[in-house]
Amino acid sequence: MEEIIFGIGITALAGALAAVAGAAEDTESDIGSQGDPNSQVQLAPQMGYVHRIFNKAIAGEPPAYGLWVALGAGLAWAFMAMQINPILAIVLGSALAVFVQGVYATTAYLGRTASLSKFEQPVYIDILKSMTTVTMAHAFVAIFATVTVCHLMNGALGHPFPLPLLGLVWGIALGAAGSATGNPFYGKERQYQNQAFGAGVPIAASGNIVRYAEAGQRNSIDNGFFSAKLGGPASGICFGLIVFFELWRTVVFEPVAAGWGAIIVGVVVILIFAIIDRYIEVWARKTFGPYTTPEEASS
Amino acid sequence: MTALGAPKQAGGFQPPTAMGIVLSVVLIIVALALSFLLVQTAGLVALIGIIIGGVLIGFGVHFVPVGGAPAAMGQSPGIATGVAMLAAGAGLAGLFAGAWAAPLGLAIAAASGAIGGGLLMAITCTMVNVIYVFGMGIPAASGKVAKDPITGDTFPEYKSQGTEGHGLPFISWVGGVIGGALGGLGGTLIYLELLGIYQAQLPVILGATVEQIAPVAVSLAGIFAIGMFLVNAVLAAYNITGTIEGPHDPKFKRFPRAIIAAAAASAVAGVIALGLFQLLGVF
Repeated sequence: MEEIIFGIGITALAGALAAVAGAAEDTESDIGSQGDPNSQVQLAPQMGYVHRIFNKAIAGEPPAYGLWVALGAGLAWAFMAMQINPILAIVLGSALAVFVQGVYATTAYLGRTASLSKFEQPVYIDILKSMTTVTMAHAFVAIFATVTVCHLMNGALGHPFPLPLLGLVWGIALGAAGSATGNPFYGKERQYQNQAFGAGVPIAASGNIVRYAEAGQRNSIDNGFFSAKLGGPASGICFGLIVFFELWRTVVFEPVAAGWGAIIVGVVVILIFAIIDRYIEVWARKTFGPYTTPEEASS
Repeated sequence: MTALGAPKQAGGFQPPTAMGIVLSVVLIIVALALSFLLVQTAGLVALIGIIIGGVLIGFGVHFVPVGGAPAAMGQSPGIATGVAMLAAGAGLAGLFAGAWAAPLGLAIAAASGAIGGGLLMAITCTMVNVIYVFGMGIPAASGKVAKDPITGDTFPEYKSQGTEGHGLPFISWVGGVIGGALGGLGGTLIYLELLGIYQAQLPVILGATVEQIAPVAVSLAGIFAIGMFLVNAVLAAYNITGTIEGPHDPKFKRFPRAIIAAAAASAVAGVIALGLFQLLGVF
């Protein structure tokens, strides 16, 4: 019984850490335009809209975070093998992984932006100096929290995978959850704030991203400030729920019915999410209503 | 043929070529023979398991609704990320769950892997709709079909002007969960087959007990399972070319080609993973 209570506590802690990781990951990727909206940041100068938005997208979020979290976890694992305190080892491992992220962000921004020189898009050195450090800070939070989650899974809950392998698995899952949830909010709601609310961006408007702020030109810290209000927390909830339910069903229900308990609970949780999703879908259709009458749409 | 002489672009069904089928069958037979030579009957059985796992992954990826960059602007339905990446996220979460349940036997581990992948996709797909509806005020609408095959919801009037649809209709949500579950199941199957072989081989090679070699066996099986997962997910992503809405999308019919490719790729990659120590011994 004590073991299960201990497991539930660890599960709750891991879920909370994962929520922090998801929020930091999405804000980091939005500041760096690393998700799918990078296509618009790259397209804008080609359509004549020169901007001051940071763009470090040379890999998708899942493989990039797979690399950084696996690196942080691997280094932390090595430090722990050298008898260094786990918390210090995780901090050191994450800090070293963040330096790799910083190098990646710098070279990616320079490379991507320099390729737009024929469209008269300048490489802004002040953008490079101010944005890179902000993405590094957010990346540190995301990597540290995820490596800690992995350490809890391995050390406290007894998952057989070694720490670096867990880092790779959960780094990729973190990137997948963050990019799936956070990208539309940054891409549609922020980059195309000049378009009508409550509708998708017409394909004809592609590239016409918002480039001006309340005062002066908009930069990626403004974008991070915006997406940290909803896209980031929503990504955090998404990744937090994934980690929590994945651990909770195993820790609490695996002893039931020789292991089938965890599977039955997993199916029940999936069905509950199906009901929630369907409710949201129907609610949106009723509340927002159709854009056109069915006759017009079909004609 | 068009006026320019280019082959007609088929949006939906693209059958595998005879050359592709013959080449794949030859590769699979050679790999099966090699696995039997290297690890005897156990190797043959394990490679068949790995091929089934790879095929499940390749097939499962076709269910996952991926909208890519246009989805991030609400211009097309699906999840706003890459096909291989999202499938990898779900499949690896499944592998995590399956590996954890491995001591409980094949059936429970495989089921746990499937549920792990399905759970990640269920939560992710729900959160996608949460952000579309409550963050952006946009209802879900498919661009490929006029009616949801499951719920019967009509879509044309819910598509905003100048877009191909947006959000995740319920059929795409269901497709995402099925895709995640198949990916998790396939990944777990590959992991369990490799783990069984390494647990039998390593104690003999290293002169140690099963407990002592467990971390090495688990790590090797995990790394190879992740690698083979990515191989099959990327192959399927090439077959899809860009975006797919789920099982109702005409592109879904292309899956036979991906299944053949995934079987051949898994057979070749699998025989290298299975005969790792024998191959290392040669050098």
